[in-house]
Amino acid sequence: MSDQIVLRHVTKKFTTKTLGDIIAVDDFNLNVEEGECFSFLGPSGCGKSTTLRMIAGFEDLTEGEIELCGRLVSSRKKNLYVLPEDRGLGMVFQAFAVWPHMNVFENVAFPLRIQKVNKTDINRRVAEALHHTSLTGLENTFPGDLSGGQQQRIALARAIVTNPKVMLLDEPLSNLDPKLRETMRFEIKALQRKFNFTIIFVTHDQSEAMAISDRMMVCDMGKIMQIDTPENLYNRPCNRFVHNFLGESTFINVEIRDGKAFPKGSADQALPLTLPPQASREMVVATRPNEIALTGPDEDGYQTHIEKRIFLTDRTEYLVPVGGQLLKVQTPHRIAFSEGEKCSVHLVEPMWYPADDAEADKERARRQLV
Amino acid sequence: MANVKFDHITVRYGSHTVLQDFSLDVESGKIVCLVGPSGCGKTTLVRALLGLNKPETGVITVGERCLFDAKKHVNVPAEKRNIGIVFQDYAVWPHMTVLENVSYPLKKQRRPKEEIRERVMHALEQVHMTEYARHLPNQLSGGQQQRVAIARALVVDSDVLVMDEPITNLDAKLREEMLLEIRMIQKRLNATILYITHDQQSALQLCDKMAIMQQDGTLCQYGTDEEIILHPANRFTFEFIGVSNFIPLRQAGSGLALDCGELIPYTGEVPPQAENGGFDLGVRPNDIVFDPASPLKARVDSRVFLGSEYNYFLSLGQKQIRVQQSMLDARTRGVAKEGETVGISFLNTRFYPTQKGEQTP
Amino acid sequence: MKNYDGVSAELAAVDGRKRLNMDKVMTAVCFVLLLIIVVIPIVMIIFNAFFNEGRLELGTFVTQVTDGKNLDAMWNTLKIALGATVLGTVMGVFYAWLLGRSDIPAKGLMRALFNIPYMFPPFLGAMAWDMMFNGRSGYINKFLRTLLGLKTMPININSVWGIIFVEVSYYFPFVFMQVVSALERMDPTLEESARIAGARQRQVIWKITLPLVKPAISAGALLILTTSLAHFGVPAILGYARGIYTLPTRIYAVIYNSGGSFDGIRQGAALSVMLVVVVSLALILQNRILSAGSYDIIKGKSMRPTLIKLRGARVPLLVLAILTLVLIVIVPLVMIVLISFLKAYGLPLEFKNFTLDQYRTVFASNGTIDAIKNSLFVSITAGIICMFLGTLVAYVVQKIRPKGKGALEVISMLPYAIPGTVLSIGVILAWSGRIAGINLYNTIWIILVAYLARYLSFSMKTSSAALLQVHSSLEEAARVCGASHTESLKDITLPLIRPAMVSGFFLIFLPAMREVTTSILLYGPYTRTLGVQIYSLRDAGMIPQAAALATVAIGIIILLNTLVTRLTRDRKGV
Repeated sequence: MSDQIVLRHVTKKFTTKTLGDIIAVDDFNLNVEEGECFSFLGPSGCGKSTTLRMIAGFEDLTEGEIELCGRLVSSRKKNLYVLPEDRGLGMVFQAFAVWPHMNVFENVAFPLRIQKVNKTDINRRVAEALHHTSLTGLENTFPGDLSGGQQQRIALARAIVTNPKVMLLDEPLSNLDPKLRETMRFEIKALQRKFNFTIIFVTHDQSEAMAISDRMMVCDMGKIMQIDTPENLYNRPCNRFVHNFLGESTFINVEIRDGKAFPKGSADQALPLTLPPQASREMVVATRPNEIALTGPDEDGYQTHIEKRIFLTDRTEYLVPVGGQLLKVQTPHRIAFSEGEKCSVHLVEPMWYPADDAEADKERARRQLV
Repeated sequence: MANVKFDHITVRYGSHTVLQDFSLDVESGKIVCLVGPSGCGKTTLVRALLGLNKPETGVITVGERCLFDAKKHVNVPAEKRNIGIVFQDYAVWPHMTVLENVSYPLKKQRRPKEEIRERVMHALEQVHMTEYARHLPNQLSGGQQQRVAIARALVVDSDVLVMDEPITNLDAKLREEMLLEIRMIQKRLNATILYITHDQQSALQLCDKMAIMQQDGTLCQYGTDEEIILHPANRFTFEFIGVSNFIPLRQAGSGLALDCGELIPYTGEVPPQAENGGFDLGVRPNDIVFDPASPLKARVDSRVFLGSEYNYFLSLGQKQIRVQQSMLDARTRGVAKEGETVGISFLNTRFYPTQKGEQTP
Repeated sequence: MKNYDGVSAELAAVDGRKRLNMDKVMTAVCFVLLLIIVVIPIVMIIFNAFFNEGRLELGTFVTQVTDGKNLDAMWNTLKIALGATVLGTVMGVFYAWLLGRSDIPAKGLMRALFNIPYMFPPFLGAMAWDMMFNGRSGYINKFLRTLLGLKTMPININSVWGIIFVEVSYYFPFVFMQVVSALERMDPTLEESARIAGARQRQVIWKITLPLVKPAISAGALLILTTSLAHFGVPAILGYARGIYTLPTRIYAVIYNSGGSFDGIRQGAALSVMLVVVVSLALILQNRILSAGSYDIIKGKSMRPTLIKLRGARVPLLVLAILTLVLIVIVPLVMIVLISFLKAYGLPLEFKNFTLDQYRTVFASNGTIDAIKNSLFVSITAGIICMFLGTLVAYVVQKIRPKGKGALEVISMLPYAIPGTVLSIGVILAWSGRIAGINLYNTIWIILVAYLARYLSFSMKTSSAALLQVHSSLEEAARVCGASHTESLKDITLPLIRPAMVSGFFLIFLPAMREVTTSILLYGPYTRTLGVQIYSLRDAGMIPQAAALATVAIGIIILLNTLVTRLTRDRKGV
């Protein structure tokens, strides 16, 4: 496998009237391999869209360089900038961007017509692209008469018709309803298998990113936080921000005494956990509400009781006191406790973060910015 | 605050019957959610309560007061019904300040100025909007406008508060906040709220009791959220409130079998009436667990990691079923690989008579 | 749930008889007033064109329609309208693209300047151009002739092409404004996706951008076409004296030459039918094209469109834009002001020939003061009456929806399709004693009646749009709060559409202030309007005096416009 997309020290600064200079993208370095599905994930304003637009060639770089399929396309040092139309990319936008004045066939044929492909080849290749996006039969329909899902399929067909090596997807599912989103996700993966292109997928929805990608990058405030496979990212987030961003999280502040972790506000009972190698005096134990096992009182767990039971649609939520803090635990409905009942809490492979996590500082910095 | 009673209400538009003989008793001091797919007649019912349309038959009473009685020709006009309403689009009057909006109903009742002031300030306090009294609606966020609409509905001491899809136009985060807000306001005032929505999720989050309406305008279940989730009265309710798998159950030889294109013997417990087949087995994706000991084997078609859970599609015979595995389960029991054959067991199974026309041949 | 027609019908049924009565009264009032104001004049034209003393007589009509001069006029009308449409569209699209999509500097200022021709009365512009390039005595013509040593004048503005040029410079904003706003609201990813598909910038403009704004372009172009077909001022100033007629000026000539005799008016009526047919055809075309090609190009997250870098072409294009502005906005304005200071028309533009006498004469003349008073009176009165009547019609059409609502809508929009000259003839035929002995001829009232018919559709359109914004739930909320139907109308609906009513008023008041087409046929000795007064002064050869009054008129218009913009900007939003 070779690297298909390489970003080296890519930086983008904007100058705004009200806020002065903003570093939208700060020293991004990453390699995306051939055939990979790679997601850019982060809250709005994290720099993911700007990075994608720099790869597409709609934005110039302030510093650094970008290589596509072994070819340098943007470089500040060499003052090189290849126009978007010469980068040989496929791209699908959030708002579909299908042309309302052309019918489905013409929309999909457009890239081929620009390349001056001959008529029979156009007919054949468009028919093939429409076939793979389940649009056959709609050739003469205008996009205005089609549903959002069908319009997004036109955009996909238009993107695959030139057989690009790299496909950029800019929040392509955000404008669709949840049910359709899932179907389209499967279809994108199927197209990737069939046409064998590399995907960059931009989204702010973590479960969507995890479902579709081989690897993903989590960024925040213009900085890369972590790059890894979805499972590794979810199971071993590098800091509290990533932990919290990737899924519902619950944190316990602990004090380390005598090699044991005591939840703050609990003098006598320690959490039955093995400490990490370099434990400082105060730490945060991070886990997720649905990864905590709740059992009847037993020897191995942390002994406590149910403070509150909240019935949710697909699970039951319990608030369980741990020291002076309330721990959120979610279980399937079939595991039922009542309020006040004694129980045991088992944390399964939690994460440990320093108590003075950069999180707080970052929050402060963000406030100043806004 | 008072209870609301709909008694045998029928509403027709031309030859089209929207509500047929509909009865529902909304208890005092509770949030009752009226949930159903769009077009099931829930809005028609609310409009009948407000006096914005006229049912053909039936009686509507609020507390001791009869608002409508088809037989006795009672039909209190809309402006005299004393029911607070919060519309989907808020219907906050854009040319009036928050203060003017909220005082309008009292002005129409020609209350003394001093009383109006007092009651308006009180209502604004209830929704935490006191400091915005002089603002115009376009200076407020969607959530704040919604609170003004609630204050306006509260200010006249309405007997009931009706909310017609009040959060549909808000974004996801604000929706959560508004639901909490509505809940808190209701607790503070001990108000009777009739909350109309097509979104079962928000209804479950909010309500004390839930009334589920079916497409044809009939009531299929009325109960607490827990009753409805744990004991859905029929197949419609079961399907409406969550993702579900259905597998037809047939008699095969001496026992029962799951009809999945091929017949797979089923040895699980079955209620007596289903013992002769003709029923569908319903099970939620998160109530299917991997169990190597189970005789029921399925092949893993696909596995997707979604963060808080793994989502699988399994082939059981020719039939595809959906399974959700929680992370806790995945960590303790391990995940199944694509292509692998696994044993599965069904927990919390339900059985509903097979619907005609849906029977697999 | 979303079907608010059904909902209001439901509410009406619940309300019972009381409301139906009030609604019936409103509906009846609408029908009667529209009958008087709109239907009768139109019926009178058609009747008089084909009937004489109660008998069908096609002679006059056939003679008029086959008359060579009239056919020439028709031919000129078409040439001018098509020329102005094509050139105005090209110019409007070009500048719209430059200001909407490129990185040309000083956009805000240029946009404001490009809107000036829109509020500037075209016939004053024609006056200015006539002063500069008159085929016999234009100042710049004379200057150029001396400079170049020519025997004849180099440019003759008193020609079909001259008329086209002046109309283009005042009508291209129709296209410009439509297209620039379409370009600005267009989703930029529509263009970006074409770049990704491999298209060059130039290809994107031709294959994506222009086709996407085609609906906006055709809407603007057809507006130029219909306006130019019915236009009186510019051809009257530039062509009339040189024997170049268009249908509107020909109608005026026929009536004017006959000294207001009934026969002349009948001939005018026959010609009017000809003009109405041409304009109606254009309007039908407009409806066809506009209803066919409308699609949604505004989607997705709000993003600033990427501006296209002009690079080397930036400065030349900026210069071109500035020169255009100077030529069509500033030059005519300066010319009028300069001439207004001249002692006598024809004297060289030198300081020693300048004086303020013209202004003194203007302000000392009773006729001029009367004209300003008359214009203010009819404009304000027409504005107020139309504001209420238009709102009433809009309410009946939008909210009450009686059986004949379609007819009501068509009748109130009808005068929009009828050129001002034609409407005047209808009004003369209807209100000079032939019906119920009412004779308004030579009084200010006949101008008012004509203005009402002409401008009603303006206020009705704005009130209609505003009423559509007033969701029925707003009124229902008031009902539930204890307000009766009338109270909810008074407390909620009316206050909500008040801003639209006010802007409807100004939409009528401003053009009425500078109106000339309608009043030129209706004025009597003491009922000249501002426009008519300028026109007659010029016609009588008192050109510097006309220029002085024109300067005053332009001052008033600019003042009022700024006032209106201020007022509408500060109003509470709905």
